[in-house]
Amino acid sequence: MDFLLELLTEELPASHIRSALDQLDAGFRKELADARIEAHSLKTLATPRRLVVAGDFAEGQENREEVVTGPPLAVAKGPDGALTQAGKGFARSQGVDESMLEVVRTARGEYLGFKRRAKGTPTAEILRAAVPRVLASLSFPKMMRWAESPFRFSRPIHGLLCVFGGAPVETAFEGFKATDETVGHRILSPGPVKASDFAAYQAALEKSFVVIDPAARKKMIISQIEAALAPLKAKVYPDAELLDDLTLNVEHPHVVFGSFPEAYLSLPLEVLATAMREGQKLFSVVREKKQLPYFLGVADAAEDAKGLVRRGNERVLRARLEDARFFWDQDRKVPLRERAAGLKNVLFQEKLGSYEDKAQRLKKIVAYLCDKVGAAEVKADAVEAAALCKADLLTEMVKEFSGLQGRIGGLYAEQEGFPVAVHQAIYEHYQPGSLEDASPASLSGAVLSLVDKLDSIVGAMGVGLQVSGSSDPFGLRRNAHGVCKVVLDRKFRFSFPLLLDRILSSYGDRLTLERAVVKAGCLEFFAGRLRFILEKKGFRYDLVGAALGPGIDQVTDVLARVEALEALKSSPQFEPFILMAKRINNILKGLPPAKVNSDLFAEKEERDLFSTLSIIRDNAQPMIARGDYVRAQGIIFKLQPVLNTFFDKVLVMTEEKSVRQNRLGLLQSINKMLLGIADYSLVVVEGDKPAKPKASR
Amino acid sequence: MSVQNLILGLSRFWADQGCYLAQTYDLEVGAGTMTPDTFFRVLDKRPWRVAYVQPSRRPDDGRYGENPHRVQKHFQYQVIMKPSPADIQDIYVRSLKSLGVALEDHDLRFDEDNWESPTIGAWGVGWQVLLDGLEITQFTYFQQCGGIDLTPVPVEITYGLERLEMFLEQKDDIYDLDWSADVTYRDLRFREEKEFSEYNFSAAGVTMLRQAFGACQKEAARLVGKNLLLPAYDMCLKCSHNFNLLDSRGAISVTERVKMISQIRALVNDIARRYTAAKEGA
Repeated sequence: MDFLLELLTEELPASHIRSALDQLDAGFRKELADARIEAHSLKTLATPRRLVVAGDFAEGQENREEVVTGPPLAVAKGPDGALTQAGKGFARSQGVDESMLEVVRTARGEYLGFKRRAKGTPTAEILRAAVPRVLASLSFPKMMRWAESPFRFSRPIHGLLCVFGGAPVETAFEGFKATDETVGHRILSPGPVKASDFAAYQAALEKSFVVIDPAARKKMIISQIEAALAPLKAKVYPDAELLDDLTLNVEHPHVVFGSFPEAYLSLPLEVLATAMREGQKLFSVVREKKQLPYFLGVADAAEDAKGLVRRGNERVLRARLEDARFFWDQDRKVPLRERAAGLKNVLFQEKLGSYEDKAQRLKKIVAYLCDKVGAAEVKADAVEAAALCKADLLTEMVKEFSGLQGRIGGLYAEQEGFPVAVHQAIYEHYQPGSLEDASPASLSGAVLSLVDKLDSIVGAMGVGLQVSGSSDPFGLRRNAHGVCKVVLDRKFRFSFPLLLDRILSSYGDRLTLERAVVKAGCLEFFAGRLRFILEKKGFRYDLVGAALGPGIDQVTDVLARVEALEALKSSPQFEPFILMAKRINNILKGLPPAKVNSDLFAEKEERDLFSTLSIIRDNAQPMIARGDYVRAQGIIFKLQPVLNTFFDKVLVMTEEKSVRQNRLGLLQSINKMLLGIADYSLVVVEGDKPAKPKASR
Repeated sequence: MSVQNLILGLSRFWADQGCYLAQTYDLEVGAGTMTPDTFFRVLDKRPWRVAYVQPSRRPDDGRYGENPHRVQKHFQYQVIMKPSPADIQDIYVRSLKSLGVALEDHDLRFDEDNWESPTIGAWGVGWQVLLDGLEITQFTYFQQCGGIDLTPVPVEITYGLERLEMFLEQKDDIYDLDWSADVTYRDLRFREEKEFSEYNFSAAGVTMLRQAFGACQKEAARLVGKNLLLPAYDMCLKCSHNFNLLDSRGAISVTERVKMISQIRALVNDIARRYTAAKEGA
């Protein structure tokens, strides 16, 4: 049966809509599953003023059969098979006809009983409670109150339409009783719209200038853009994020095509695109990578017959471009080096000081990291870029168009004639902005980007700024993803903990928390982020856990380790080896460290194991050191047959204490070597059985 | 069409909505929100509806009269409705229609924009209202003021009068606007913009401003002690303006900036706390 829900609100931010639709989908699926109601279909849709759930649900719960058990058969029936007084009493007390009674077999024996059909609850009744429960559970990054109610939501609520099987559900939310009525477009058709199912709702709204399906609105935008640009043989500069936001900003999209004076084309592409995008949310138009003096905007309108929307947007854009040209000319009058002196007056973070302080730290750490990752040839340029990269925060251009941070500094540096390695590093140092974004293309940019982000993370954690749930005020997650991506893309090899030490000490006494605490916190935070990134790349969670086991001395090693596990997981030696490693791990659990003394070996098998271990370790260590985990793991697989014989022939937990300790010590040194490659105890394999009983050890 | 007619139109409209038409406050403020008709009146539980024109001073926005959009003093039309009416968006849309804007020919958008003023411990949630891409209004459900959670929640509607008039007259330069039939915006404001830009960026006496900031701050604290909250708040407004002037003179360092803002906020929050405590006690 057709279910439809619309929560009518004031204009919701696009990010809130996306999150609300996910929550609504999960919320209704859970409610229906909990109530054992089948959902044949369920989808969520939205406009800036409407959150919508539509679906096809079963009419009610399935009727259920339950068995009611009475007295034991021996008591309920006489030797002749007729009901005794007890048997008759049971039927009477349950209100069933004696003919319904039957024998029920249970683990405890035979009983008298009968089957009762329980009628399922109708879905409409379940929805009555479920709807307000799901709606009340919606949460948003920033919530507000309005009028006189203590209730918090993203924006004020105006109505609830909720129908099931053609009739309004008898429910209410925050004082709004569910009806079968909503309203049309705020300006174009504000009157009431009635609907008793989704198809009617969609059609009626369409007539009232509301396209309820975001996918349909997106299509409209794309096809109107294509139609506008076809005669020019031009393309819109691709911006998926802007397109998605605009789709959620309007109820009825109408694409507006406008132009600006060609004189502004002398501005860099980046400046033009930002001036259009930020604030005004316009697409820029390009042909063969060259900017054309046109723009495309998306209005919430049916048409622009009089051209007023176009002219209005043209006027606003012209003013912004005029500003941008003024800034471009003015800013270049002050050399970046001179401008950077003013960074002492720009706050990086209250407790962490100014951007001048940050630039000083970046210079030191960039120099250190260049040496470590074999970037000595760009060291001088990267250090220069570190000193200048934040100077554009003081330009008029960035004050007006904050999205140009970094890029505009790079462009100004290029204009001033700095070497490529300097201006490109400045240009790219905010990259990558996300895991999907590209890492800096230049080596100097990659080093600077990594150091800048890590400096921010260490500083924030050092003064107790934490990431929690959906809140990440200092962008720590985004920065950590950027750090990991740069290191992995560039295959930078350097000790991560030692770099943290350097950064921690570069902060002097500014941090409010103990350095050791901050370092441990950073390592844990990065382990979490690496886990997220690797699982996103499609690696199995248990293999990722195993690869993180040895810690993150080298960030690239974590990837190398999980790749090795992935490569070897289907080899025939893999599973027996994992089981063996787990067995060793189980034996050693909770035991204090023991020493190995080769004089104390009593059996040939333990001597064999000891010498095989030495050979394998000597071979594996250089491979581990250079991050070649596929070969290192291949070699240590060779331990397995020797270990097998050892476990077959040698009793580890022998009576003789010194011999037992010696054997445990031997196993511990094996375990130690294994843990340098992966924590195999975390790998899940088919033949994973519970730990063997003690006697067999 | 003129700025004057716009003010008359908005005043007529909001008076009809039950707003009391307040007169401009006689101190320099950065926004209409900071005047007592908003600041104190949103703190208590009593219903309140007010509308007024308030010149807003932003010394840093001075452009010597050379920029067609940016000025160091502009005029806001400030409306407060407490509690926020359920149909406030509709009322607002009607206010635009009452000015003769045929909205069906335009693109009206409520675009996410959350507002805050750390100096007076205030923040709210709402939108910037865009008309064909031009920001004409800040629309905010006030959540906190003077560090105090506001109940009932007031809604604040702030029209940028010059912006709106430029839209209505379809003009590209602020100085081409008409204030009345005979007086242009240029007549009234051009010289003021030029001289004040010079003052804000170059001529303002830094030593004097620092002393004034300190003196007003001390005076505010002293007045709070005597429970003279309105005069104390005036002193905070003076602090705030002196701070803005020092800032546009480039005379404030990082640590100072944080310190000065938090000094004003502490005083303002203290005033708001005492004001509401007294109201509740009464």
